[in-house]
Amino acid sequence: MPTEKSDLLQGTLDMLILKIVALGPVHGYGISLRIRQISKEMLRVQQGSLYPALHRLEKRGWLESDWGESDNGRQAKFYRLSAKGRRQLGKEESNWHRLAGAVSQILETAS
Amino acid sequence: MGWRKGLFRKRPLDQQLDSELRFHIDELTEANIALGFSPEEARRRAVLEFGGQQQIREEVQDVYRLPLVESALANLKSALRFMRKSPAFSITVVATLALGIGANSAVFSALDAVILRPLPFPDADQLVRLDQINPKVRSPETQVAPVRLEDWNRMNSTFQAIAGYYTQDESETSGTFPEKVTMAAVTPRFLQVWGVAPALGRGFNPDEERFGGPDAVIISDRYWRGHFGANPDALGKKLHMGGYSYTIVGIMPASFLFPERDVDAWSAVPMNAPYAQSRDSAWFITVGRLKPCVTVQQAQANLTTVQAQLGEQYPKTDGELAVYVQPLKDTIVGDVRGSLWFLFGSVSLLLVIGCTNVAALLLARATQRQHEIAIRFSLGASRTAVVIQLLAEAFVLALTGAAFGLAVAGGASRAFRALAGNLPRIEEIRLDWRIVLYSLVCTVVVTLLCGLLPALRATRRNLSGSMAQANRTQVSTRSRLQWLLVGVQVSLAVALLAGAGLLLRSFQALGKVSPGFEAGHILTLHISGGWGETADMRALAQRIDRTLDALGTVPGVEATATSANPPGVPAEYETEHTFIEGQTEPGRKVHVESRFVSASYFFTMQIPLLAGELCREPTPPSDPKGGGWGSLNVMVNRSFANTYLPGATPIGYHVQLPGGNFIPPPGEIRGVVGDAREQGLNHAPVPTVYWCVNDPDPDPYYLIRTQAEPMTMAQTLRRKIHEIEPARSVFDIMPLDERLGEAFVDTRLRTVLLSFFAVTAVSLACLGLYGTLSYFVNVRRREVGLRLALGAARGQVLRQFLLEGLGVAVLGCVCGLALAVAFTRVLAGMLSGVSPSDATTLVGVVLLILTVAAGASLLPAARAARVDPMQVLREE
Repeated sequence: MPTEKSDLLQGTLDMLILKIVALGPVHGYGISLRIRQISKEMLRVQQGSLYPALHRLEKRGWLESDWGESDNGRQAKFYRLSAKGRRQLGKEESNWHRLAGAVSQILETAS
Repeated sequence: MGWRKGLFRKRPLDQQLDSELRFHIDELTEANIALGFSPEEARRRAVLEFGGQQQIREEVQDVYRLPLVESALANLKSALRFMRKSPAFSITVVATLALGIGANSAVFSALDAVILRPLPFPDADQLVRLDQINPKVRSPETQVAPVRLEDWNRMNSTFQAIAGYYTQDESETSGTFPEKVTMAAVTPRFLQVWGVAPALGRGFNPDEERFGGPDAVIISDRYWRGHFGANPDALGKKLHMGGYSYTIVGIMPASFLFPERDVDAWSAVPMNAPYAQSRDSAWFITVGRLKPCVTVQQAQANLTTVQAQLGEQYPKTDGELAVYVQPLKDTIVGDVRGSLWFLFGSVSLLLVIGCTNVAALLLARATQRQHEIAIRFSLGASRTAVVIQLLAEAFVLALTGAAFGLAVAGGASRAFRALAGNLPRIEEIRLDWRIVLYSLVCTVVVTLLCGLLPALRATRRNLSGSMAQANRTQVSTRSRLQWLLVGVQVSLAVALLAGAGLLLRSFQALGKVSPGFEAGHILTLHISGGWGETADMRALAQRIDRTLDALGTVPGVEATATSANPPGVPAEYETEHTFIEGQTEPGRKVHVESRFVSASYFFTMQIPLLAGELCREPTPPSDPKGGGWGSLNVMVNRSFANTYLPGATPIGYHVQLPGGNFIPPPGEIRGVVGDAREQGLNHAPVPTVYWCVNDPDPDPYYLIRTQAEPMTMAQTLRRKIHEIEPARSVFDIMPLDERLGEAFVDTRLRTVLLSFFAVTAVSLACLGLYGTLSYFVNVRRREVGLRLALGAARGQVLRQFLLEGLGVAVLGCVCGLALAVAFTRVLAGMLSGVSPSDATTLVGVVLLILTVAAGASLLPAARAARVDPMQVLREE
């Protein structure tokens, strides 16, 4: 097992969920898989944070959901990005880039 | 709609969530099977990997739970934890608020009972007081003649009923000793006006209200309990008074205390009695009940019209009379209104000081919690949520404070009643749900006042800012705000203290003032007498003379006198007199205070005779209606002589009291006496005419000068009176000193309470100063340590912190003085013998505040100077 797994801060988890859901309707299991795959196993999302986050985002109106069949024919809850969610994602992404830029700037110049 | 959706989707939510989670586990199991695990093992691993389902379920449910309730509970919990974690801080805040809210609630309970609440009668806002006045003569006689009262009842269109009453002290002679009974003689419709029925028995029937009908009486609840042990058998029993026996027909409820709180009984006045037919008699204090939806103005207009009609019909007696209608509550509450609002304002200032103090504490506290708040932000809490949490903490503190405050208010309320003595409606003060509600409102206001600013401040820095901040280095903006709060406290305290100082000085001045008479060693008392006795004025005068003579023979008694009003107690009996002979300044109105005293009054009260001789009491004619009074003797005081007859010898002039139709006999000035503060110690003497009659009414004040302490003579005198007047009761025995004190109960109440508020305010302000300076000393320990290590003198450090504290105190004093000017302007009417801008008081207040502030600053400053540099540097 790789030792360098990072847990996510809550604020960032919301942004990642929005980003993944933006790719197309997806269920919770799918989201956890995608995050792990895309981050090359570096980031691991605890289910304990994932589901409350999904429901919170849905309640805020950033996600919408309906029930559908999964690839293997099971009933699953699929999440979609709402228009509001798309705007929010844009905001969070640019925020993140600003912050990350500033941090890496410091890391580079201060070393 | 959001909350309804939240409520209604609750049940399907559980099921949906279950299927959602089950799906996840199924997929995980499938993935594990694909990895080659057996189905059981795959499932076990999936469940393990997935983690605590119950916890997830709860957290997801939390998302949908009604946010208000959910977050309120969480905030409450965290607030309680917060209180437990810092007991010293919490106790300080709770104690401050308990005092602030408690004192405020106590004063509010008085304000509520006396001013805000309607009088304790059904639809009390319909009750009005009616006065008949003759605008031309400025006579204080506003009572209404029985016939006129009946005319008003018949002719008006705005009243449900109008009734009148007068009170007199009767002697009830069923027992061994005659006992005083305070009797209100009332007209028909009396109970209808009040809208109150007897709790037991009935009201008067028409027979009992007729002249010559049976004598009936309704007794008060208090009398019933005191004399009949609350036994319903009292109905039908008899009371014996003034040679008549009255059958008890009713018992009023305990809440009915009108016209005075110690009224014992009500009897009916026959309106058709032959002696009640004169339009000149002025008997009744008159009260009316308006018809629903009729305003006082409409009633006033209506009765004015009615009285104008009567004026045409009876030009001689009614032509010049006017009617004055005012809400009954105004006449009962009267002057206390100003006092109570003033106290309420002061105690609210105290609460503001308390809030400011708590706000400063919370602000300091919030700085220490910067780290905690930063973590909450980084965990994704919104600013609103953090602000609400901080406010919740303030609210829990305020609520605890309010709970203790109610206990404080209970005690304070009792103290208030004790201090308030005989102020109107004081017996109605109690702590009930209105006061609890008020305290709750206070709590919310206090929370917002104390909590909002620190909460907004504490959450203002954004995430990156607070992460980067080393909290020791950034105190400048916050320190300004905290010092501002301390300054506010100091200036409010200065204002309150200035007010208290002025009241105290005024009270002190009152004690030093020379009243112009000798109040010590005077016993005052009443001997019951009924108005019926005025039918034979000669007998009445002889009876009173006889009593005075008999009392004068008792060993230890130096002098005896009667007076309509006790000296030095405000009576407000100013009337316009006229001179019969030529006045030195014709056309000038002569406004003088009239007092009715026996000839022995001046000797008894030791008011010096300045010119002329002492007056003599006239022998009244046996039938007062028949005339034959001749002239009365009067004495005037020095002010009168100087004001109205300067340069002349007043002896021999005649003055005339105003009168309606019945012209009272003129008075011949026999002598001039020294000025005395007859209207009250806080009133400078005014021009006064003393009418020398020993029987201004059947029950005057008896003034007895004794050699020993007056009260030690009380029993001897009582026995002596019983010897000569076995059928009369003696009551209201009290040294004159005490009566003088009672007249200032309002002033005393204000002075004592405001002094208490001021002392509390100063203590709080000092506590604030001390707390804030201590906090900054703590925050700057490192800086101080470094400076000391670099060779700064300890004295320098001490001076620096001391001056920082004192500087704020000085600024507070300056602002406080400006506030005090506004505050004491309100006070101006309540002061005597001291000006509202009295320099001594103001300078004293500032010096006191600065001294205390220096003390409060010295401790933290000294602590700063004692900082051990080595230790501080080691701590780094």
